[in-house]
Amino acid sequence: MIEITGRPPELLSAREKDLIHAASCEVLETIGVKVRDPKVIETFTKTGAAMAENGRLYLRTSVVEQALASAPETIRFDAPAPEHAFTLDASAEVARFGSGGQALYLLDRSAGSWERRAAGQEDLVRLLRLCERLPYLDFVTRPVECDVPKERMDEEKARAFAANTTKPMNLANLVDPSKLQRVIEIVGSESYLSFIVCLVSSPLTVDDSAVERLRAVTERGIPVSISSCAQGGTTAPLSEAGELVQLNAEVLFGIAFVQTLNPGAPVLYRGIPLTADLFGDCSPRWCRPDSIRRLTLATELCRHYRLPCCGTAGVSDEREPNAQAIAEKALSLTYVALAGAQYINSAFGMLERVMTVAPAQYLIDNVIIETLAETLKKRHDLTARQAAQQVARAALARFGVDLGPEAESELEAQVAFIEDGREEYSRGALDRELETIGSAVETDGGSRVFMKSSRKGLRAGLLYTGERIQGELDLTCIQDDLESL
Amino acid sequence: MSERDMLEEIRRSIIMGHLDAEDEGFDGSMEGTPGTVELVEEALEARTEPQQILTVFNAAMEEVGRLFEAGEYLLPDMLASAECVGEAMDVLEPHLAGTADTQKGTFLIATVKGDLHDIGKNIVITMLKGAGYQVRDLGIDVPADDIVAAVKQHKPQYLGLSALLTTTMTEMETVIRKLKEAGITDVKVIIGGAPTSEEFAQKIGADGHCRDALEAVEKLEALRSAS
Ligand code: B1M
Repeated sequence: MIEITGRPPELLSAREKDLIHAASCEVLETIGVKVRDPKVIETFTKTGAAMAENGRLYLRTSVVEQALASAPETIRFDAPAPEHAFTLDASAEVARFGSGGQALYLLDRSAGSWERRAAGQEDLVRLLRLCERLPYLDFVTRPVECDVPKERMDEEKARAFAANTTKPMNLANLVDPSKLQRVIEIVGSESYLSFIVCLVSSPLTVDDSAVERLRAVTERGIPVSISSCAQGGTTAPLSEAGELVQLNAEVLFGIAFVQTLNPGAPVLYRGIPLTADLFGDCSPRWCRPDSIRRLTLATELCRHYRLPCCGTAGVSDEREPNAQAIAEKALSLTYVALAGAQYINSAFGMLERVMTVAPAQYLIDNVIIETLAETLKKRHDLTARQAAQQVARAALARFGVDLGPEAESELEAQVAFIEDGREEYSRGALDRELETIGSAVETDGGSRVFMKSSRKGLRAGLLYTGERIQGELDLTCIQDDLESL
Repeated sequence: MSERDMLEEIRRSIIMGHLDAEDEGFDGSMEGTPGTVELVEEALEARTEPQQILTVFNAAMEEVGRLFEAGEYLLPDMLASAECVGEAMDVLEPHLAGTADTQKGTFLIATVKGDLHDIGKNIVITMLKGAGYQVRDLGIDVPADDIVAAVKQHKPQYLGLSALLTTTMTEMETVIRKLKEAGITDVKVIIGGAPTSEEFAQKIGADGHCRDALEAVEKLEALRSAS
């Protein structure tokens, strides 16, 4: 855990946050969410929601407001070792960091180079043990899934956690909700557990397979992060304002479902507005300046609601540990922490846009978070911009990378991109975004609409096009730990 | 406008990815001006030979491909152009009926049961439509039985399956097994999605694997010429 001092980035003004909230409510009331699951329909029609013939459910703003009012501001996370338990307080200025992912590949250091292979059960155990050793890792989210048949996944994962973790356990996914009781028995107590559920898949479509899972954990009052992972340019508008409006609507829908089922059940707001790599294969950009800016904006929105905030930071776009990955992680961790996320997921080990996890990167990330803690301790009045630059510089220096003038100006440019808004936040501008979202959800495969409408924003520079930060890493400061891996 | 100018306008409109008058085009400035669909309609009204219009489509897409290769065009630009051709083909086709070029075949595609990922599938659809195939999208999270039923109903030459999760890619094997059980052997099945591979395709008895949408177009062309 680290204390958050310094000045929050405040990239959005109060007026802009109000505008986004109002537009998100309008999305829910007039564009609606596509639902097939009878339980979701029944739960919401009881609140007065209307179901249209086209399969879309229109949610009343009053239900959203009620949900926001009944969601608790504090959440308890117990742990097998009591010293690791904590209470998350939505108004506290502290940040806690955890692992995360569900990466497909594991990257190991072997004879001085990096080797990538499919990840599985043994890697899960190895990573859980590594998480135990890291002082800045406060909670453990499953980093890779067990490579066992689907029917055994939940139990095997629970067993791996029970045997190797003494910190709060975020199992993230639950393949079979009927296994929840068994999972609780295996780990020892439901108070150790939390989950992540993406109820609404972008754009505005309920994932049927998530409903039972969410119901199961909500009914037992187990903390759950309600997630939306929109991608500007493919599953949401490329415009950051448009993407935020849609993403916020998707998260609010999930929170409203939880609170309607079980008022007062613990929920965390988890908005991950990424951008699609429209220069390449359209896979999401997690840590380019445009994405870092949007992750910061989502954190600010969550704080606006005074909800416990599950932030996302530190998922590098790089394929291997390197200087650029350190810079990306330093900038995103600093911005998201200073914007007020109290529970930062995926902060360890993640590379290649969540596709890969590297044990060595866990060690590097621990150093980056330590650097963040020290930077904020040294001076309490830093702006987010100053803090981010200092953390990036200091973290790179710890791995032997001194920034020359070119890299310095690249770092400046990246931070400037994160700080400086490029869009108008007006009712008129948001109305245009609502139009795009509306037509995307009416078309099969809305990504065609979003991709087409992204052309203007692309030419207006909404995606960062700068360089990467280069430099050879010296891993001496983590050498002992590396060897023990 | 002379016929030559009209064809040149269509070519330019496709290259600019300007679908119709409501579409803002390449750089957001083209709304309100006639797009590819209107221009093709106009050309047909002026009795331009449909075959000539088709030649322009091909030439325009070649130029778009060149711009993409050269890095001047990004994927959304190429998709917008492919969509222009796909939509304009719908206008042109009744006038071409029966000629060899319209018979590229029907392609059915679905994201398999349990899987909601559709970004890649949608790109594949647009590119194949642009390449002149009749494409039917069954959507996401489609059970194997529904896919088999759709194959029986539409009798496509090609079936595309998409899966992004290690937990859902096995569903592709189920689809192929159920097709066999239903006695359907004349549809070529090609697959794609991040966790899949050529090896996996072979293992489950698919006819091919595609790394990306461009490879999907190439694979279909290869399968077509082989048959
Ligand atoms: C002929 O037929 C053909 C031919 C070619 C074909 C083809 C068919 N299909 C694809 N191709 C090929 O051509 C396309 C175009 O070039 C290419 O398509 P692709 O789809 O590969 O590429 C696209 C253009 C861009 N790529 C993508 O669109 C996928 C990107 C990632 C980040 C991704 C996204 C965006 C999403 N996701 Co999900 N998602 C991830 C992905 C990680 C990644 N980087 O790949 C992955 C696949 N997801 C994952 C997970 C776990 C999940 N996702 C989930 C949900 C989502 C979103 C809804 C948030 C969103 C999808 C939105 C949408 N409308 O599609 C959940 C599952 C929901 C479900 N039931 O399906 C959930 C389970 C998360 C959760 N806990 O809720 C992981 C899978 C891990 C695993 N072991 O299987 C994952 C690798 C990310 C991760 N590391 O965590 C080629 O593969």
